[in-house]
Amino acid sequence: MSTKDFIIEQLKEQIADFKVKAKQETVGRVIEVGDGIARIEGVSDVMMSEMLEFKTSKGSVYGVALNLEEDRVGAIILGDYLGIKQGDEVKCLKRILEAPVGESLVGRVVNPLGEPLDGKGEIAAVKHYPVEKIAPGVITRESVKQPVQTGIKVIDAIIPIGRGQRELIIGDRQIGKSAIAIDTIINQKGQKMKCVYVAIGQKESKVAGLVAKLEQCGAMEYTIVVLAGASDPASLLYIAPYAGCAMAEYFLDKGEDVLIVYDDLSKHAVSYREISLLLRRPPGREAYPGDIFYLHSRLLERACKLNKDFGGGSITALPIIETQAGDMSAYIPTNVISITDGQIYLMPELFYQGSRPAVDAGLSVSRVGSSAQIKAMKKVAGKMKLEAAQFRELAAFVQFGSDLDKDTKAKLERGKRLSEIFKQGQYSPVPAANQVLIFYALINGLADDVPVEKISDFETGLFKYAAVSGAKILKEISEKQDLNDELEKKMKELINDYKDSEIWLRQET
Amino acid sequence: MKITAKQFALSLYEAVTGKPAAQVKSVIKKFVELLAEKNMLSLADKIVAQFVKIWNEKRGIVETEVVSANNLNKETIKLLKNYIIKLSGVKEVVVDVKANKGLLSGVIIRYGDRVLDGSLKTRLEELKSELIK
Repeated sequence: MSTKDFIIEQLKEQIADFKVKAKQETVGRVIEVGDGIARIEGVSDVMMSEMLEFKTSKGSVYGVALNLEEDRVGAIILGDYLGIKQGDEVKCLKRILEAPVGESLVGRVVNPLGEPLDGKGEIAAVKHYPVEKIAPGVITRESVKQPVQTGIKVIDAIIPIGRGQRELIIGDRQIGKSAIAIDTIINQKGQKMKCVYVAIGQKESKVAGLVAKLEQCGAMEYTIVVLAGASDPASLLYIAPYAGCAMAEYFLDKGEDVLIVYDDLSKHAVSYREISLLLRRPPGREAYPGDIFYLHSRLLERACKLNKDFGGGSITALPIIETQAGDMSAYIPTNVISITDGQIYLMPELFYQGSRPAVDAGLSVSRVGSSAQIKAMKKVAGKMKLEAAQFRELAAFVQFGSDLDKDTKAKLERGKRLSEIFKQGQYSPVPAANQVLIFYALINGLADDVPVEKISDFETGLFKYAAVSGAKILKEISEKQDLNDELEKKMKELINDYKDSEIWLRQET
Repeated sequence: MKITAKQFALSLYEAVTGKPAAQVKSVIKKFVELLAEKNMLSLADKIVAQFVKIWNEKRGIVETEVVSANNLNKETIKLLKNYIIKLSGVKEVVVDVKANKGLLSGVIIRYGDRVLDGSLKTRLEELKSELIK
């Protein structure tokens, strides 16, 4: 009895508190609908990128106003537009498009509207952030100086990425662009980084595999996956990176470091082109609309490193662009190259030769440079980029076959070993201290007596040996992040000890 | 360039304003002749619709649709009219009253692209969604 009374009491209370006022609302009518686009009459005080509610017989569908014209409004529809009919009522919701943000999203797979796609139940988001936001200004920023350890040797050594940097990953299809981004996410474990992976127009099977891999590596504990799949409407693809960035900004505002991967922006550009053409905006080069540059620049400008007064957080962006047959001078690649602080160019030739990741040392740059490296890495990797580039040139030259002087020969031998060391398997990031160790061995000629084809064995053996006998040295490197004479001596000893311990090394030298 | 229905309606409005009824007749005759000459008679329906819109807008007249659960008496309609005038700041209101039993009680007022929903049905729906939350 008491439970019943309690319920009734509660109900009475709730109803007494419940007051509705007749609100004045602005409405409009659909005059045309199709291809994910609706044209609406009325809604005279609608705002740009305001959310609209389409009332259909099957319930509400949401949309966003994109074109405000003299007597009509063009809107994109987020979700299923097949239920919307001509003459349906449209309501203004008086708020700009927002995405749910918060800690509860971490470890989840969501769509750009923050709805769960992984079947793990509802997400209770505390806050909503506007999807479009003006990037932080000059006064709030500071220069990039902390490294993002990608765990990929060739990148950490010659094209370092800093926290707050925007580094483009560019290359043909099926060449390992996403692999670099995923390896980087996996390596952020224990680096106090949150990660957001935005999949734009990706195959859902690929994303499912990727999420499984991240889960297996324990990387989902600090990662949000925003998925707008290949079968989703262009409107969702278009807002996906902005929504992902809004989710990242929540952590930025808390002073945390965030890594965000946009995979990939060429599909994003294509979806925006679709929307623009359907909204009858005039096409420009390659049929992209006039504001396609602004589309990407305003997104990537939101990557930043804030100074102490503003929380000191950062957003590092890794946009990915897919080129067609290596054509870097197409419209979208050139645009994004000019926006970002450098690019990692993946070369098909290198990929098929078997040197993976197929990073081209000559065409890849990082405009932030060595200020985004730990000092120890700076010391060992300083000349490596030059050496790698020179080696490529020499290797091409030597193919003509001729007697070489001693200097050139030595350079060639060193280069061969260097590119051998740069080879690295997928999902196997190398800690910074280990990288310093192997690069130290190489530049000091300690690996010169190891045959080229044995270099990878030498490397794995050295890491194993160092994990047991040189744990102290590795720890010292990762703690101090710098090298001194004493430490260098210890490293040299460690490497020589290892070489003595290996039978095959002793026999062949 | 193609002349739109809106442009036709606007010029027609400008041509007839401030003219006595006799003159208006000849203006309209000339206007129809012009349409025929330009092969635009098919636009007539659209021009009429636009003309009504422009006329109402310029004269400060607003067409209102009131949907109520029960039939309203004259006094209530007058009260509603005054309310709408106060709300929208127009000079005159033309009210079109419709009955819809489904609203249970209360009224819905539509004018221009605004809606004022004071029906019991909507309130009950809101209460439902509030209680589910």
